Amino acid sequence: MTRRLPQVAGVALVATVLALAGTPRPAASQGAGVVNCDKCHGNRDFIDRRRDRRRADTLMYVPRSALEQTAHQTLQCARCHEQYDDGYPHDARARVVPCQSCHEQAGLDWEASVHKANATTRGDAPQCTGCHGTHQVYPTSDRRSSTHPLNVAETCGRCHADERIIGTYFSTADKATASTAVAKYYETVHGHALTSAGLTVSATCNDCHRSHKVLPSDSLSSSIHRDSIPATCGQCHEGVVEIYDRSAHGSALVRGDTTVTGHRAPSCVDCHSGHGMVRADEPSWHTGAVEECGTCHEELYESYFDTYHGKVTRLGSDLAATCADCHSAHDMRPATDTASTVHPRNVVATCQPCHEGAGAGFVQFQTHADPRDREKNPQLHFTWLFMNALLIGVLGFFAIHTTLWLARVTIDYRRALRGGGSPPAHGGGSEGDA
Amino acid sequence: MTRVLNAADRGEGPYVRRFTPVQITLHVFIIVTFFGLVLTGLPLHFSSAPWARFMVTMVGGLETAGFIHRLCGAITFGYFFTHIATLVVRGRRDGWKRLLWGPESMTPQPRDVRDIIGMFKWFLGRGPRPKFDRFSYMEKFDYLAVFWGVAIIGFSGLLLWFPVFFSRFLPGWIFNIATVVHGDEALLALSFIFTVHFFNVHLRPEKFPIDLVVFTGRAKAEYMKEEHPLEYQRLVESGRLETLVAPPASRATYMWAMGFGFASLALGLFIIGLVVYAVIRG
Repeated sequence: MTRRLPQVAGVALVATVLALAGTPRPAASQGAGVVNCDKCHGNRDFIDRRRDRRRADTLMYVPRSALEQTAHQTLQCARCHEQYDDGYPHDARARVVPCQSCHEQAGLDWEASVHKANATTRGDAPQCTGCHGTHQVYPTSDRRSSTHPLNVAETCGRCHADERIIGTYFSTADKATASTAVAKYYETVHGHALTSAGLTVSATCNDCHRSHKVLPSDSLSSSIHRDSIPATCGQCHEGVVEIYDRSAHGSALVRGDTTVTGHRAPSCVDCHSGHGMVRADEPSWHTGAVEECGTCHEELYESYFDTYHGKVTRLGSDLAATCADCHSAHDMRPATDTASTVHPRNVVATCQPCHEGAGAGFVQFQTHADPRDREKNPQLHFTWLFMNALLIGVLGFFAIHTTLWLARVTIDYRRALRGGGSPPAHGGGSEGDA
Repeated sequence: MTRVLNAADRGEGPYVRRFTPVQITLHVFIIVTFFGLVLTGLPLHFSSAPWARFMVTMVGGLETAGFIHRLCGAITFGYFFTHIATLVVRGRRDGWKRLLWGPESMTPQPRDVRDIIGMFKWFLGRGPRPKFDRFSYMEKFDYLAVFWGVAIIGFSGLLLWFPVFFSRFLPGWIFNIATVVHGDEALLALSFIFTVHFFNVHLRPEKFPIDLVVFTGRAKAEYMKEEHPLEYQRLVESGRLETLVAPPASRATYMWAMGFGFASLALGLFIIGLVVYAVIRG
């Protein structure tokens, strides 16, 4: 109690000064009648004496100064707290006005979100105040705001990094990404940009998942549904998405094409996995991207690792060409497309950045040759057959040669022992020399 | 009676010189560069093997591995052409016919076919053990395999080292072929050397555990009688044996040969273990 005294005195002093300074208070402009909330709710002593034990006094102690510089600083208490009057207990009709009455669109978006559904049924998902707070609702541009870009991950993390919430909602295998989302976010290029470089323009949770209309990726109207991802990423990465949209992947996504295995065309996060995103100039990206491409392009993946490019990359080189170095990162197109980097007309230019001086002969190298394919690669196929025959032939012949030799020497050795003589010193001259 | 470790030291008689210092030096070069090439090339061939990355780290990282590989390749070309030069000198001095045919030549001859058949008959207990001259068919195979290997692996290696240059007059798919040939021929070479060559020369019961004749350059007369009876007989009859008798190798040479020989055997067998592991694991 005594420790709180200076604090209380300070607040009281501030309240008094503010009252004396004549804080603008257009009385009774909103709500019913002349209401002086500050008289009670700005009086720390009063609140402390009258507080309901069940509620934290901080909720009830709301001096006028609490709203200073917030987005709501010009609002009267009654704008949100309808039908409250001077008397106590307050009017039975008193209620908190829904935020939606002003913030209509945000309200509608929230109504459509997964948060609304769980807030209603389970009560453990956030409503407006869960993210924005109650009285200290600062504009998003204010560093103190819980929705300021530098604070969003922490705000979302209050629930999404919470063991209990993760256990309730994200414990199944298909929700694995969500279960580690916040921690992983800080390791992504977006997270690094935010925490290390302090970039407020870097994407944080709500830039991809939306602020109010938060929906899981399998929901058709979700911002992170496969079909919406290019547009979502394109809010910032406009130059990339305009290239991607024209690529084989982008156009297949729009057409809704599926592969024989039933896979849809990849959108941004299939290669730049949402919460595992790294900078493209990091070594881990260099090898990781190949794995991503390989999940669909299985044969090309296999044949890539038959080549020097693939083998050195697998050993950790970040110099040798990987998929995107030849096929381009976002503008990948079939080799039949004249705008493709691997179209015969363009392939010399594609090899040259690494192989200076490469010409028409050089590019006849088959980057995805399959020695087992006689139709496509006859020369290679027969070379491969010959080498295998040679390997098996030579080693096979000498395996027999060696085994028989060992057997013969062993037999002779035993025979010599049984015959009572000493074993042959040098083995060689047994029966033959005798 | 304790067994003398070096097979070439066993038995009676004086030491007979079998290899010249130049030949000994070249063989040491072969061993050193071959290990250099294998240790830096194998992780690339078996890049998905769990030991591949570790091996690259052990030889100093990818770029160092690439450098060592090319350096050893260059030295291989060096000893290869040095050896060709010594052949030319011998051809001119002793006559080309003696170099390319007859008992002292490396050229495979009808008697080698007879020896192979004879060995299999002996294995199966149906005949005496064939008597070899200066070089048995196994030694000829070792020698010619290195000859062929250096040429094939060396040339395909050069193609892969300077692809832009060679693509000016060769079609690009030659590099696909070179990749397969280089890797598979190298795999054959090391598989052969670390098993068959090791067995024939060092590990078979008659010679176990090691034969240091290629390092010391000399072997006991009894060893010559056992391993190369026809040559021994010729040397005795022509009286040339006297000129080849040599003192025992110095203690320093012997210690060095023992250390280098056993280390090479161990390393080779270890590498075979890694290859078998990678192949079985797929």
